[in-house]
Amino acid sequence: MPDNWGFVIAAYLLAAAAFGLYWRRLCRRERALRAARAARPGAR
Amino acid sequence: MTRILGWLAAAGLAAGLVMAFAVAPREATQGNVQRIMYVHVPAVLVAYLAFGVVFVGSIAYLWKRAEAADRVARACAEVGLLFLGVSIATGSIWGKPTWGTWWTWDARITSVTIVFVIFLGYLLLRGMTEDPERGARYAAVLGILGALNIPLVHQSVNWWRTLHQPASMLKAGGITMPASILVPVLVNVAAFALLCAYFVVKRVRLLEAEREALA
Repeated sequence: MPDNWGFVIAAYLLAAAAFGLYWRRLCRRERALRAARAARPGAR
Repeated sequence: MTRILGWLAAAGLAAGLVMAFAVAPREATQGNVQRIMYVHVPAVLVAYLAFGVVFVGSIAYLWKRAEAADRVARACAEVGLLFLGVSIATGSIWGKPTWGTWWTWDARITSVTIVFVIFLGYLLLRGMTEDPERGARYAAVLGILGALNIPLVHQSVNWWRTLHQPASMLKAGGITMPASILVPVLVNVAAFALLCAYFVVKRVRLLEAEREALA
């Protein structure tokens, strides 16, 4: 059977993209909440 | 703690890649395309684990009304769905060169897709319900129902004739895989479990921060 490296690379890239995008989403949300907390009146 | 988990997960994933591409041998029948298994199998096992935590967290929430248990269940449902989605998508990519099709309504693929849809519904339900307490209660029931489907997904390859191969790891009679393939799988399972734990801890902290911001 041929090796089908294209399918292997596609699968690994897809997994990396899914995990990477989710991680970035969590980091963005964290930064947004931190900024909102800092902007709140009385925040130190 | 989150940072340490993150670095451990990154190191684990790097080790997993080395094991999958440099240590694991080229499979005799399928060739190198079988290397997709080192993502596909760990992703589904870790999703099962995350949904198991949803099951326990949901019961704890319904029983004791413990908000912390609900937050852990919610985070695990989201992260489990991510891992399950990766497993379904990589399985489809693996299916094309080996089965000749991206998709088929095989018992394993259909049952795992039902679990995916149930947990997608879990997250939609939480987003759509205005009263957070009621949303958490409904979601907990759905989370328990979704997790109860996992044994069915696992057994589907034994109970029905399927295109999907039978289980090679979690089966009666023990593991029959050669060590040269099993060890890379286990390294990747550990790496994915660390990544899952990192995401869950991060997501739980976010849910706590969101609750404080709304208070």
